[in-house]
Amino acid sequence: MGISRRDVLLGTTGALGAATFSRPMPAIAQSEPIKIGWLAAMTGPSSAPTVGFNRGVTFAVDTINAAGGVKGRKIEVITRDTQGDPTKAVNATQEMISQLKVHGIWGPVNSGEALATTPIMARAKMPDIHPCVVETLIDPAKFPNAFRMAPSNSQWDDAVRNYCLTILKVKKIAVFGDTTGYGVTAVGASVAAFKKDGADVVYQANIDATQPDMTPDMLRAKNAGAEVIVVWSVATSMEARMFNTRATMNWDVAFVGHPSLASGDIAGLIEKPANWEKVYAVGYKSCSYDAAGKLPAKSQELVDRLTKANIPLNDTLLWWIAGGIDAVELFAKAVEASGSTDAPGIIAHLNTLSKYPGYFGNYTFSPSQHNGYPTDEIVMSAANSAKSGTFALAPGYA
Amino acid sequence: MLGSILASGLAAGAIYALVGVTYNTMFSTSRVMSFTSGQLAMLGGVFGSMFMLKLGLPVIAGFVLTLVGCAIIGIITEFVAVRPVLKNLDQHLYVLSTLALALMIQQVAAIKWGTEPQPFPKLIGWGSGVWDEKFWLPVVACAATVIGLEYLYRRTLVGRAFLAIAEDNFAARALGLPERNLRIASYALAGVIGGIAGFSGGELLLAFFANGALLNFYGFVPVAIGGLGNNRGAIIGGIALGLFQQAANFLVGGIFSSVAVFTLFIVVLLAAPRGLFGSATARRV
Repeated sequence: MGISRRDVLLGTTGALGAATFSRPMPAIAQSEPIKIGWLAAMTGPSSAPTVGFNRGVTFAVDTINAAGGVKGRKIEVITRDTQGDPTKAVNATQEMISQLKVHGIWGPVNSGEALATTPIMARAKMPDIHPCVVETLIDPAKFPNAFRMAPSNSQWDDAVRNYCLTILKVKKIAVFGDTTGYGVTAVGASVAAFKKDGADVVYQANIDATQPDMTPDMLRAKNAGAEVIVVWSVATSMEARMFNTRATMNWDVAFVGHPSLASGDIAGLIEKPANWEKVYAVGYKSCSYDAAGKLPAKSQELVDRLTKANIPLNDTLLWWIAGGIDAVELFAKAVEASGSTDAPGIIAHLNTLSKYPGYFGNYTFSPSQHNGYPTDEIVMSAANSAKSGTFALAPGYA
Repeated sequence: MLGSILASGLAAGAIYALVGVTYNTMFSTSRVMSFTSGQLAMLGGVFGSMFMLKLGLPVIAGFVLTLVGCAIIGIITEFVAVRPVLKNLDQHLYVLSTLALALMIQQVAAIKWGTEPQPFPKLIGWGSGVWDEKFWLPVVACAATVIGLEYLYRRTLVGRAFLAIAEDNFAARALGLPERNLRIASYALAGVIGGIAGFSGGELLLAFFANGALLNFYGFVPVAIGGLGNNRGAIIGGIALGLFQQAANFLVGGIFSSVAVFTLFIVVLLAAPRGLFGSATARRV
């Protein structure tokens, strides 16, 4: 039987095809970088936390890669600026899943975006670590791929209530929020929780953040006998006006509440620095210094490393940087432990973590609990005590 | 409590009144309700804070530059959002064009200035409590503006020309008045009045990009209550609105005070569609 030109072509093609299929694919997989998508609101109104988180991300990636990577594989972070816009966040998420084929996603960092992106990531079974506070973003049954590495809003609420009732030992509470969806929801939840714990909520109000004079509500709270004012808002102008009004009223009442009470913007909006005294904002043990001015040893070690690496701390918060580092390290450890970048392996590993020692906190996840940050590491900080991204512990902590 | 209601009510009311006068000044020469009025007041606060706090200029220089900046924005409004639609006033295209420009101003302010409220400096440092300058300064500015406008309209040739255009611009043009230039001048004047509103109310409202939308609405209410084109009506309507709003804040709480303001607004419009001080104009047929 003669060999035709067609037989030669078929044979050659078949041989080449077989050679292609028999190439050692695992070798490529083992050398390709670990791709982490980073949904970062680098610009826009909510960019401040992202800028801090990004410093941590960059620091962690550089450190891990300089040490040889994860089992020889470098980490590659692919950043998309979502500008705090849920639509852009959704587009970036789709791109990361479908085109960039990332192995895990860090972010987004604000709840509005996360509400839009979380179901998309869940459908794609994409491992996701985020720091957003809205309760519904974590549901291991609906979103088994999503892990929260910062406190939820109810954990903040627990910490604030605990500080008011057991440390300040006050019983008559006024709860204020702004008129945004967040403010209304947070005030409702806070009031219900205080009442459940036996406190007397003597006044509650949702105030338009643009209202130029806070005297009406402050006066009503005072007349109702409030011993502390709990604030749930991100509107720094409203908060500063409350502090100024308290001073005008000569009312020696403490404010306790949302982390924004410690925002640097408030310094320029208060009429005198004393107006910012007796204001206690949600903070974290890992990023708070004691009466002697000392941070926890592990945090101090991090600050020293960051300082050595010329990473600025004076215009951001330490917990943002620490959170960025922890997110990258959590992914790196998951790949290292599971031996691959497969999503099921990463998710399974995260579900086994118990008091994993990060810089921001000690994280614990399980298949039924994806709120990883421990409530007992949330503390109150003296709002006006910012120093290199850290705060002084509020009075009452040992 | 009464002192607080009066102090903050009069202050807010004076700012609303000045924004109302800004609306009227632009309306008088063009028959256009320009929804950039509130943005001009917002820019008064933002420019003031920028010149004095960011650039470190003294108060007088900051004030003058703020007014110049707002006057320029007023003129741009005339060129960009008003002039192109003057031939089709009956189609009310100015609603779209001025709202679009207002949105642009707000977005540019948000991008360039920031989305967080910024401090506005103490201008004089007189008074405390209910006598703090943040309360009385807008009232004084409003009074001074009203006196200045009365002088302009009654004692100066330019002012009388404004009135002539406002009364009947076809007749005024037939008499040789430079209608187009007077319209540009009236928009510059509106910019100055808006700038005064924002600058004098800066300590109360802070330098905040979102104040524009707020003042657009609360400045429109006194115009509707007082009667379109009627400055006295706008002043009385603005002061009344401020006092009513603050009283509602004290009596029913901030979240319900807006509802109270809307209710009053609708009731007044139902009772007097041309405003409390408006009157039907005679029309030759």
